[in-house]
Parts: sequence; structure tokens; C-alpha cells
Amino acid sequence: MKPYLAIALKSIRANLSRSIVTIFLTTFSTVVLIFASTLMDGEHKTMLKNAVEVYPGYIQITNREFRNHPSYDNLIFDEKSTIDKLKLHSDIAVITSRFETSALFSSDTKTIGAMITGVEPKSESQVSKLKTALVEGSYLDANDTNALYIGKELAKRLKVRLGDKLSFISSGADYSFCADNVIVKGIFETGLYEFDANSAFLNKSYFDEVFTSENFATHIIVLPKDTSNSLSISQNIQKELDKSLVSESWEEFMDSLVKAMELDSIFGYFTLGIFFIVIFFVILIYTLLVVFSRVKEIGVLRAIGTTSKEVLTMLVFESAILSFISVVIGGAIGAYLAYYFHINPIELGAEYQEQFKQYGIMSTALPTDFNLVTIARDMIIMFILGVLSTLYPILKINSLTPSEAMRHV
Amino acid sequence: MVKKLIILFSILTITLTAQTSSEIIKKVEENLNGKTAYMKFTMIVKTSRYERKMQMQSWSEGNDKSFIKITYPKKDEGITFLKIDGQMWQYVPKIERTIKIPSSMMLQSWMGSDFTNDDLAKESSILDDYNHKLVEQNNTVFSIELLPKEDAAVVWGKVVMQVSKEYLLPLNTLYYDEDDLLIRTLKYKKFKKLSDRIYPTYWEMKPQTKDKKDHQTIVIVEEAEFDKEIDSSYFSKRALKRYSK
Repeated sequence: MKPYLAIALKSIRANLSRSIVTIFLTTFSTVVLIFASTLMDGEHKTMLKNAVEVYPGYIQITNREFRNHPSYDNLIFDEKSTIDKLKLHSDIAVITSRFETSALFSSDTKTIGAMITGVEPKSESQVSKLKTALVEGSYLDANDTNALYIGKELAKRLKVRLGDKLSFISSGADYSFCADNVIVKGIFETGLYEFDANSAFLNKSYFDEVFTSENFATHIIVLPKDTSNSLSISQNIQKELDKSLVSESWEEFMDSLVKAMELDSIFGYFTLGIFFIVIFFVILIYTLLVVFSRVKEIGVLRAIGTTSKEVLTMLVFESAILSFISVVIGGAIGAYLAYYFHINPIELGAEYQEQFKQYGIMSTALPTDFNLVTIARDMIIMFILGVLSTLYPILKINSLTPSEAMRHV
Repeated sequence: MVKKLIILFSILTITLTAQTSSEIIKKVEENLNGKTAYMKFTMIVKTSRYERKMQMQSWSEGNDKSFIKITYPKKDEGITFLKIDGQMWQYVPKIERTIKIPSSMMLQSWMGSDFTNDDLAKESSILDDYNHKLVEQNNTVFSIELLPKEDAAVVWGKVVMQVSKEYLLPLNTLYYDEDDLLIRTLKYKKFKKLSDRIYPTYWEMKPQTKDKKDHQTIVIVEEAEFDKEIDSSYFSKRALKRYSK
């Protein structure tokens, strides 16, 4: 093995300019692949993180029937004891409950149907972006009674401002009629148009009085200590829950979004694939030219008794060494870029804000996903591609007889 | 010649049947609503977890105008509803506000019962918005199928009304959606003499969908007066607040 390695290294040195061009091409491709895939993953992770953290939360506990039939017959009927059970879990950071229902909001000029939700102000601010989305006035607190925290678009539709009075009418948890007057305490804007145009929040203790929903909830939201482990934590929670309740992690209840991201990844890799086919053929043609310029040298080697297998091994070694060097350099540069833009996300500027909002992304900063597994995977792909692209020219030249090779012009 | 006669006979039969069924429906509506009606009734809403009782009074003129006032429980006392010009308004004393129920809320439950706002507002008319067809009859009952007219803005895909031949009043109304799925049934029972007519005094609304299988709303008509003049002041927006007390 050693002599082949030595010959391969010698050959690389002897054809330095060819080697540098090959290394440059493969290095460049490796950097592009790593950067593009970490950026794509970063974009998807940002989208999902935003979508999850804006409001839904990482783990949701609901009545088993609630998602299909969101009625008062399908509530969490013993919120307190469920929460007590959850508190025993060491991998849970925050627990909060919500009671979500629809109401008719009426201002002096307008009447609009929208969602009204009772939330626990302090713990809610830890599991969602409700508090940070505040744009005017102030967020709810635990002593609030007739104070409403309303989405900016809903406020606009109802033509109400901070401090204005409006009324809501709805059904209580016992299906009885309920109504009250409230004052706009705060206005929020998450950037998600539908959410901002259809949501308003009340302090849950006041909400429970008006809606006769004491000890009831539609959702219990759980923030795990390790958010990347939501699925398994949710499965653990499920084991201890009452059979009427179901615990689902965001991957389950937002599966359509997860699937959309996967589909987007497939398209992303497809685009990258086209790019790599081009690179593959560039290297292949370049190697073909280079190898054929060495055809006489190989003819001589064969004439002095080197077998075609030995020539093949030698040339593959040469190609593998060049690809390895390229992949290591490209991997290092790609990893550095992925790390740099992970720490310092790419800022796309305000003009993209509107488009981003449609996808649930509140910030226009796009970080890459610095993930060593992805980087290693891309390096291996490029190494294999690098070696494969030289294989055809090598096999082609090796199929010539020594005399044919030596006569080759 | 015979062929022509058969065709003529068929056309005549179809026309007569259509007329008959429409006439039956018209008569049913007249018997149920009268020219004017005043009623006092109790509504019991049953779910798997609760049973609530409400009492109310209503004043109505035909099918177009109606005014309802809740008299019990204390918490809801004084809530008033008004239906005029195909629109529905509500006054809630607690918030001192008159609210127009938007058409998007018409299918929402009325006061937590199994009746919808649309049942009260009756934006769609059983008589005008549906084609009527007598599908079955025996000695005591007409079965009339109501299919919405093409451009009618109606809630139901099909309504089947079983009508008592004796009283020309409904016995059972079955409401289907556009996929022909039975959504709810409204049964009329306990026919008694009220005021000038025999009237069903016990109405039982039962949703048939899985999500509401334990729900039921019962209306017990306690008092009724028909075809007596009702002060027109009941059918104005001012009445909502005025008669709330």
C-alpha cells in the first residue's frame, strides 16, 4: 500500500497546477454545500422555533377529543390535579393553562367574532411570545379583572385604542350566557396576521369567574427544560395522564408545518443536486483531460510491468488524497462560515419583513444551523463525489493497452 | 291521445302535490306562529355535565318580527332579543349595550341551547326558500321534504317535516346537512288547547352529531295568546332597552 501512496503523492506534487485546480474545485463545492445546507436547516429551524414559540408552545395537553371537536364537552375538567401531576416531572421547566373560546366583541362602532382566551399572565409569558409582542400599553398581570390584551389587527378592526371600553358576549363553560365590559390594557403584535386579527386575552382568574371555568382548561402548555427533546418528554407525560387527556409535542400537533419544511428541504436539496451535477461533470471533464495528458506516462508504467490494477490503485489513491485535502479545507471553511453565521445571523433587512411574517418568522435575521453531523455528512458526500468524478477517466485510461497508451498523442 | 292524457294527468298530479305540500307548510306556519303570538315558556338545556333552566317571554308578528325577553335566571334577567328586517339584535343589561348579531354568528348556539341564532332570526323561510314535496303520508301523518331553492341562502341541505293531519302542526322536524347527514331533530309533543288553538307545548331539540350526543334542549310552552294585537313598540330597537326592565 505504502509505495502506491508515495507514488500518488509524488504525482500530485509533479502535477501541482492540476492538483491545485482540482483541490480548488472540490473545496469550493464543499464550502457551498455545507453553507447552503446549514443555511437551509437554519431557516427551517428558525421558522419552526418561531411558529412554536409565538403561541402554541412545545407540548400541549388537551382533552383527547378537543382537536376534532373543540367544544365545552371536551375540556380538561380537572386542571389543578393534572398540573400537580406535571409538577413532579423534573424535565419540565414551565407549566401554564389556557381557556380558549370564541366571543362576540362589540365596540361603539363594530361587532366582531374572535377568540378570547384566559391565560395565567406570568407563566404564559415564559412559554409564548405574548408578552414580548406588546406594542402599546402593558401586558396582563395576575390581579387584572376587566383588562383586555388585544391583537393589533383585532383592535384596528374594532376601532378601539388603548384605554377604550368594549364588551364581549360569549358562552360560559356551563353553556350559560356571559358578557362583560373590559378596558383595553395592552395591544400586541406577533406579526402573524391571522393571530393578531382574531385573538384577545384576559387574566385567567378573572376569566374563570365570568366564564364559570374554575378548574377547567382547554389547553395546558408545557415548556420542557430541553426543548429539543419535546417528543420524548411528551410521551413520558402521557403515561401519567388521565386517559381522557392527550399530550402532544409540537412535532405532532404542527405536523403540517413540519411536513411543509421537509418538502421545502427536498426542493432545496434538489436544487443543490443540480448544482452538484454541474460540479461533478466539471471535475470529471477536467480529470479526463489531465489523465489523458498523462497517458504516455501510464503507458510506460504498464510497459515496465505495472499491472492495470496497480495503476488503478495508484490513480484512485491520488484522487482520494486530492478529494480528502479538498474536503478537509472545504469542511473547515464551511464549518467556520456555518459557525460565524450561526452566531451572527444574516440580516436581510426590513424589506423582507412582510414576506417573512407570512411564514411566521418575526425576525429577518437568518442564522445558519451549526450542526457537526450535517457538516460531516456534507464532507463525506463531497469526498465520494470527488473520487467518483475521477473514476471514469481513470477506468477509461486503464482500459488502454501499454502500446496504445504509449502511442497516444 | 292516451299518451297525451297520461302526460297531462302526470303534470296535474305533480302540480297538485306541490300545491298541497306548500299549502300544508303554509298552514303549519300559520298554526305555529299565528298572525301574532305572545308566549311564555321555559327552556331547559341539558348536557352531560349541566342542566340549566331559563324562562322567557316572546312577542311575535308572523315570521318576520319577534321580541324575546329572558326573565329567569337572575343572572340573565333582562337580556332581550329583537328580530326585525331579517336582522337580529341583542341587549345585555350587564354591559348596557345593544349588539347586532353578525350573520357569521347565525349558526352559533343561542343562549347555550341547541337552538341557533338562525332558528330565532329565521333569516331563511321554510315557506319561501324551500321547494316542498309530499314524500309520504298515512292516516295520521304527512311527510314533507323541503329542499332549498337554488339561490336561497339557507343553512340546511334538506329538512323533513312530519306533520299531524289532525292538527296541521309539526310532529317532528329532521334537519340534514348538505351531505344528507342528519344533524338534529326537533320533536313536538303534548298537544294541548292554548288560547284559541291546539298547540304543541313540549318541544324537544336533540342534536344527532357525535360531538353533541348528550345534549338536549326542551322548550315548555306555558302560556300563549294568538292573533291579538301586539304593541308595535315591541318591534323597534328602542324596545330592547325599554322592555329589558
